[in-house]
Amino acid sequence: MIVAQDPTLQDFGHDPWWLIIAKIVAIFVFGLVMTLLGVWFERRVVARMAVRPGLNQAGPFGLLQTLADGLKGAFKEDIMPRTADKVVFFFAPTIAVICGFTALSVIPFGPMVSIFGHKTALQVTDVPVSVLLVFACSGMAVYGIVLGGWASGSTYPLLGGLRSSAQMISYEVSMGLSIVAVFMTAGSASTSQIVAAQRSGQPISFFGLDLTAPGWYAILLIPSFLIFCIAAVGETNRAPFDLPEAESELVAGYMTEYSSLKFLLFMMSEYVAMVGMSAMVTTLFLGGWRAPAPITTFWAGANSGWWPLLWITAKIVIMLFVFVWLRATLPRMRYDTFMRLGWRVLLPINLVWILVLAAIKVLREDVDSTSRNLILAGAIVAALLAALLWPSKKKPPAPTLEELAKSRPAGSFPLPPMDLQVPPSPRARRAVAEREPANVGAAPEGEQE
Amino acid sequence: MEDLSLPKIDYAAVAPMLILFGVACVGVLFEGVLPKAARRVTQLVLALLGLVAALSVIVWQSDTRVLTAGGAVAIDGPTLFLQGAIIVLGIMALLLIGDRAMEHGGAFVAQAAITVGSEADRKQAVKEQGATEVYPLTVFAIAGMLLFVAANDLLTMFVALEVFSLPLYLLCALARRRRLLSQEAALKYFLLGAYASAFFLFGVALVYGFAGGVEFGTIHDSVTESTQSTVLLYAGLAMIAIGLLFKAAAAPFHVWTPDVYQGAPTPITGLMAACTKVAAFGGLLRVLYVGFDGVAWDYTPILGVVAVLTMLIGAVLAVTQTDIKRLLAYSSIANAGYLLVGVLALSKDGLSSTMFYLVAYGFTVIAAFGVVTLVRDADGEATHLSRWAGLGRRSPLYAGIFTFILLAFAGIPLTSGFIAKFAVFGAALDSGEAWLVVFGVVTSMLLAFPYLRVVVMMWLSEPGESTPTVSIPGGLTAAALVIGVVATLVLGVAPAPLLDLTTSAADFVR
Amino acid sequence: MSTGEAVTFWILVWPALVGAIGMVLARNAIHSALWLVLTMLSIGVFYVLQSAPFIGMAQIIVYTGAIMMLFLFVLMLVGRDASDSLIETLRGQRVAAVLLGIGFAAMVGTGVYRAMDNVTPAGLEQANAQGNVEGIARLLFTKYVFAFEVTSALLITAAVGAMVLAHKERRKGEKRGQPETMRARFYPGNYPGPKPGPGVYATSDSVATPGRLPDGTLTDRSISKILPVRELTSSESAPKGTEK
Repeated sequence: MIVAQDPTLQDFGHDPWWLIIAKIVAIFVFGLVMTLLGVWFERRVVARMAVRPGLNQAGPFGLLQTLADGLKGAFKEDIMPRTADKVVFFFAPTIAVICGFTALSVIPFGPMVSIFGHKTALQVTDVPVSVLLVFACSGMAVYGIVLGGWASGSTYPLLGGLRSSAQMISYEVSMGLSIVAVFMTAGSASTSQIVAAQRSGQPISFFGLDLTAPGWYAILLIPSFLIFCIAAVGETNRAPFDLPEAESELVAGYMTEYSSLKFLLFMMSEYVAMVGMSAMVTTLFLGGWRAPAPITTFWAGANSGWWPLLWITAKIVIMLFVFVWLRATLPRMRYDTFMRLGWRVLLPINLVWILVLAAIKVLREDVDSTSRNLILAGAIVAALLAALLWPSKKKPPAPTLEELAKSRPAGSFPLPPMDLQVPPSPRARRAVAEREPANVGAAPEGEQE
Repeated sequence: MEDLSLPKIDYAAVAPMLILFGVACVGVLFEGVLPKAARRVTQLVLALLGLVAALSVIVWQSDTRVLTAGGAVAIDGPTLFLQGAIIVLGIMALLLIGDRAMEHGGAFVAQAAITVGSEADRKQAVKEQGATEVYPLTVFAIAGMLLFVAANDLLTMFVALEVFSLPLYLLCALARRRRLLSQEAALKYFLLGAYASAFFLFGVALVYGFAGGVEFGTIHDSVTESTQSTVLLYAGLAMIAIGLLFKAAAAPFHVWTPDVYQGAPTPITGLMAACTKVAAFGGLLRVLYVGFDGVAWDYTPILGVVAVLTMLIGAVLAVTQTDIKRLLAYSSIANAGYLLVGVLALSKDGLSSTMFYLVAYGFTVIAAFGVVTLVRDADGEATHLSRWAGLGRRSPLYAGIFTFILLAFAGIPLTSGFIAKFAVFGAALDSGEAWLVVFGVVTSMLLAFPYLRVVVMMWLSEPGESTPTVSIPGGLTAAALVIGVVATLVLGVAPAPLLDLTTSAADFVR
Repeated sequence: MSTGEAVTFWILVWPALVGAIGMVLARNAIHSALWLVLTMLSIGVFYVLQSAPFIGMAQIIVYTGAIMMLFLFVLMLVGRDASDSLIETLRGQRVAAVLLGIGFAAMVGTGVYRAMDNVTPAGLEQANAQGNVEGIARLLFTKYVFAFEVTSALLITAAVGAMVLAHKERRKGEKRGQPETMRARFYPGNYPGPKPGPGVYATSDSVATPGRLPDGTLTDRSISKILPVRELTSSESAPKGTEK
């Protein structure tokens, strides 16, 4: 039987130079390909959800459309606005892209494999604080957006940049706190160790029952998982949180003045950031490169060799699908609601959850089983009592349309009569000689008279 | 990884700080929960109760001599004495802060965010009650000071420094009248304070490089044993001293003092003049006596020059002042110089006399600022000296009290000021620092001039049109005044009990 | 120093220095902030080089990521044209500050350099024996636990201070927020949409023809005030395009 070999922190930093370069190039190519495919994927999925075919002209299934768009974009005129701050305007998109790619370097794509005789992990590198590195990169990437907005020297981009900076500050706090829960459970801040910690469920004893807690932190730490996902959408400026580029208010937000390759770089940074965030969610909460639960039970080798690349890519694509799904189905949030969600909902919930988690850890490790059961029972009883005694507000039944219409004060704007008969247009009468008048408010044909 | 275990903490010994931090947190909660009308009384009572509780714990724990919380906190004689002093002076300052009898809504602005001079500002100045956040902020500041005098390593000391400074910066900005002046004062204090903190921290880093630790015990040991370059030690000590002398308002780090004392709400000025001085000198004493006593020969001349400079600048510039609050500020600078003389005695006597001086000066200075809050006209406090002319005719009682306070500042016998100066100069003479004492006596005589000028002005001038009225103090201010004046008198007539107490408390643990 | 360490150091020392100098010299406040970001990033990497990855990352996340972002936010709110006036209130203070600053830097620099000559390192291996993060946690929760906990007082003070200095209490009705505005707009008695336009009928295209409300009544509000009110002639009110 082949057992998946988890890399430890000592396994990093010993690769020969050609292997390091190969890994870096591989991750770069991965990012590029994911961008190309990601745009295609997004447009296809959104089209499907809107019941239209979507990309289908260039190449099979329209796969080459993004490539064509990219080539076309590169040959467009590169416009430098006269009021722009030239240097910053030039560097802003590159900052965004570089940070996006750097974050990918600590994502573990698989276990130890052998490449030309060298045993190495499928991960560019890992450090004891690699999750924080990703976090730092996503924080720095926002500089690209903010500076792009500022350097454009025009109002809409500036507003977009302002929104983005406020958004980043607000949502990085919630995100950081979700990661804290993962650190507390995994006991490490390195990505490879967190994946290793999700290897198998931990046994827990609950009133004498011996259960196995699920290994994936998405289930074990579900509040953190949900908050992290929400914050990740906020952090990557994706719908419904795409306020920095809200086209209905800000034209295209921070990218308004950008054109040609610089615009493409911004586009690319958005997709790379999405891939990076999806990979991060996968690593932190969805078991990383490990195969999902039922597969390993009948195929022991699923987690060894190069197979994990398949699992992690699948998980990333699923997360990307969620991103696209959100965009296709949710309207953009209003700015103040968005800020309120971050500071007044996500942050307090996260703090309380971390406290609860810490309490659970103390109960598990430092308290003997009798008193633990007592405390647990007490907590459950208290929760039940609170639920029972919680004052419930009965809502009055919603008034009907007629009641609402009658309750309007005098001088209100008049309503059309409920049984309105739209008179036929004189022109229509000329064209279509004898047509029945349209009967809008009345009952269907069969039930009349 | 082996299990971590929390270091043993002697909770009874650190209880005063814990009580005050807890009270401050509860106060902040009250701000969110209580209706506006109920806040002021609740907050004031809560803060006073907390301070009294902390004081009683200190009295109860008065025999404790212990290093606790992993060696980070030293509870010993000087700590307990200085903590007690800070709390008593803090109670007096809190009484001044809480009084709303002289002015509608008290000395603090209702909403500091409202633009100065706007329509809303004029409205709130007349109508609204002062902000009640000042009470938890004051308690936070006092709690930070308690930790500052107890800190046994430089890192804890730095955190405590920030904990007590930040609320003070804020409180400075909250004056009800002359708000721009108040905000300017807060900004100056904040920027310069941050600068001084940075120096302190840089110094801590250098000393860490020298000693390999930040505990005073480690530093003390490595001063004699370490083979590292002493450049680190001296540079580090110099920078730490800059940070501490800034808080103590010693020259040449005194420039903030007049502006901040003038701009801050007067009760807060009282708090700063009394409690901050106690805390700053408490910290300085511990740093010099416990951590760096091995290099005493090296720093005494430099700090001596600082002391002389402080006394000279304070005394000379006090002569030229025309504003009573600025005059008191320069007097406070000069007093920092006298305190430094006591510190530089570097003996048990020096320690005890400095502690005595701190307490005596604290009582007097709070009473002085208490009187300043009383002399007002339609625009608030009338602080220009010319306005005080003829006050003796109009209100002999308060002019008498202020005269007594000024005499105490000048060091006239039968006041605490005399005994305190006598004690520090005596200690310095015993340690062979006669040159400091010479400067001390000369500047004392110089400093008596501005005080006497005010006295003469109050009693020998005719009250003019612009002479302001002296408000009848509310009960709280009256209480603070009575405490301050009585203490000044008692410490001048019968100082023996407090002198004995300081002598018995004058032993650091290391 | 190992080779890699030395190479990284000598590469990053220039951005760090240039950033620091640029931060002081830049005229534009945002450029100043950006230079500072560069310096802080380099310093973050220096920390990582010196086996303190946690501090390095915290430096990048907290200082460059959050605090400088807040700076930028404020600077952008204030506007790019708001530059300092260059009038000196104290004569010669600029020169004095430069001289004193350089002098102080030189003094501390040479002092520390000389002091580091025969220094015995305390040993990073020992401090990082159980991992860098664990080492920091150990110190925070044993030796410096009191200072660490007291820091919370600092944070509470900062939060209260921000509220006290920046928060204006609004009385009810003083300023209407977006939700209230919307509610008032759709409140019965108010008409949320644009007024009905005049003369857009199949029968007439005169702007003098008043619009009809949904219940069929005519509304004066749809006609411009300057138009005289008059009866339409039968030819005017007759459907256009139907005469044959």
